[in-house]
Amino acid sequence: MPSLREVQRGFVAATMFDDTGALAGLGIVAGALDPAARIAIYRNNVLGNCRKALAATYPIVQRLVGSPFFNAAIDAFVRAHPSPLGDVNRYGRELARFLAAYPPAQDLPYLPDVARLEWAIDQANIAADASPFDTTALRAVPADAQGELRLVLHPSAQFVASPYPIFHIWQVNQPGHTGDDRVDLGEGGDTLLVRRAFDGVVIERLAAGEHAFLAALAGNRSLNEATERACRIDPSFDLAGALKLHVTAGSLVAFRAPSDASLGISR
Amino acid sequence: MPPGIPLPPFAGIGLRSPHVAQVRRDRPPLGWLEVHSENYFVDGGPALAALEAIRTDYPVSLHGVGLSLGSADALDTGHLAQLKRLAARIEPALISEHLCWGRIDGRHLNDLLPLPFTDEALGVCCDRIDAVQAALGRVLLVENVSAYLRFTSDAMAEWEFVAAVAQRTGCKLLFDVNNVYVNAINHGFDPRVYLAAIPGEAVAEIHLAGFDASGPCLIDTHGTRVAPPVWALYRATIDRFGAKPTLIEWDTDLPGLDVLRDEAAIAQSILKEADAVAA
Repeated sequence: MPSLREVQRGFVAATMFDDTGALAGLGIVAGALDPAARIAIYRNNVLGNCRKALAATYPIVQRLVGSPFFNAAIDAFVRAHPSPLGDVNRYGRELARFLAAYPPAQDLPYLPDVARLEWAIDQANIAADASPFDTTALRAVPADAQGELRLVLHPSAQFVASPYPIFHIWQVNQPGHTGDDRVDLGEGGDTLLVRRAFDGVVIERLAAGEHAFLAALAGNRSLNEATERACRIDPSFDLAGALKLHVTAGSLVAFRAPSDASLGISR
Repeated sequence: MPPGIPLPPFAGIGLRSPHVAQVRRDRPPLGWLEVHSENYFVDGGPALAALEAIRTDYPVSLHGVGLSLGSADALDTGHLAQLKRLAARIEPALISEHLCWGRIDGRHLNDLLPLPFTDEALGVCCDRIDAVQAALGRVLLVENVSAYLRFTSDAMAEWEFVAAVAQRTGCKLLFDVNNVYVNAINHGFDPRVYLAAIPGEAVAEIHLAGFDASGPCLIDTHGTRVAPPVWALYRATIDRFGAKPTLIEWDTDLPGLDVLRDEAAIAQSILKEADAVAA
């Protein structure tokens, strides 16, 4: 009699990899339906659950390629990148990487970056909540000490960069979009901030200096260092303007002294 | 080990995200609500905030689909830790899972897969349930699943396996009437034999759902109304076990909330008849 582990390994081989030897070794009672047909029900269920979950995470990728292409890609993805979690909602982090190497998708070079944008949106929806920035407390910090502060981004904040206009592609493929849905791939790339605001996930285009500034803060650099990096890329970078914008909008939620981890929000 | 605050023996519905806003706004009269635990394995955000608001208006049950109690792999302690964190936040009336497997060698199939009913599988399930109950500090409910195959290695009937799990671990049972019916048709047994073998004092919740009968085998889709023979089996179940909290589950082709409330009202009327007989 096969052990439980042998049965379960055989089940995976038969359902996911069409292994007929494994199917025969499972010892499935035939009855009115032969064992291959019974295993096929599970194959349909398992792949169907994954297609459904990944279509919910990647609706624009699905729309760009159409359902038959999407389903075939997901079936191949599931075999190559097994779900590591019992929670199928969190499955699919590696889809962008998979699509970049997936031969049938090579004519769509922007597709992996659209997938990365959709993954970031999904993550932003479930990231931790954060209290708004305490500007009163910031004003209490002496001006000459402010440059050493570490500013903390909202836990949902992520950057997505692409040489393709992925934000434009994403916008014209939204349900209910009206008007011109053509996108010129040559119109230039995007550097995006994806984060959750009080009323949902927002996507914003970042200027080069602004991105350098926020990325340095996300990397736990001081306000001074982040400003230097931004100015190196864009000499006209406006620190006061950027601070006001991102504190008011909620992309920056806290600050802490270089030695004090307690005020920060862990990411 | 005491259970949480018991659910009232009323009818409730499985709450799915398209209905959340309407339930929050209208607060329809429903006995209780059940959600899939994994949908709330998150650090924050609007879905979790909505559940925290809903739990102040209704008793909530957490129903898990991914713990894989019957896997030969060790228990997924990360998954269990997430469940424990959610339970601390929501303080659910009940926590339930499935008597099945879904993971091997680290690969999750994210489905409720059938176990061979062997002594080894029984031992594995009981060990995992013991560990989960110890970690959560409360009684777990386990649900019988629908199955489209059986193994020649089975050493006992499904109902013997289910009853033994409850008897050995002290866990409670989430008795899914639709799954019993689907398996009775698919595997050719009398569902009343199943019902008779289940210890009534272990049953703490009942599930009802619809199946798909368009293929060669009944498929448990949770995508239609409860079928007439399942209502009949439900009446027999309530006759045997008394009134128990009963849930209408609907997952695919989700209709309007009014349809789920209709189905819950039918279950409620059957529960009420049982109360009248008992009184």
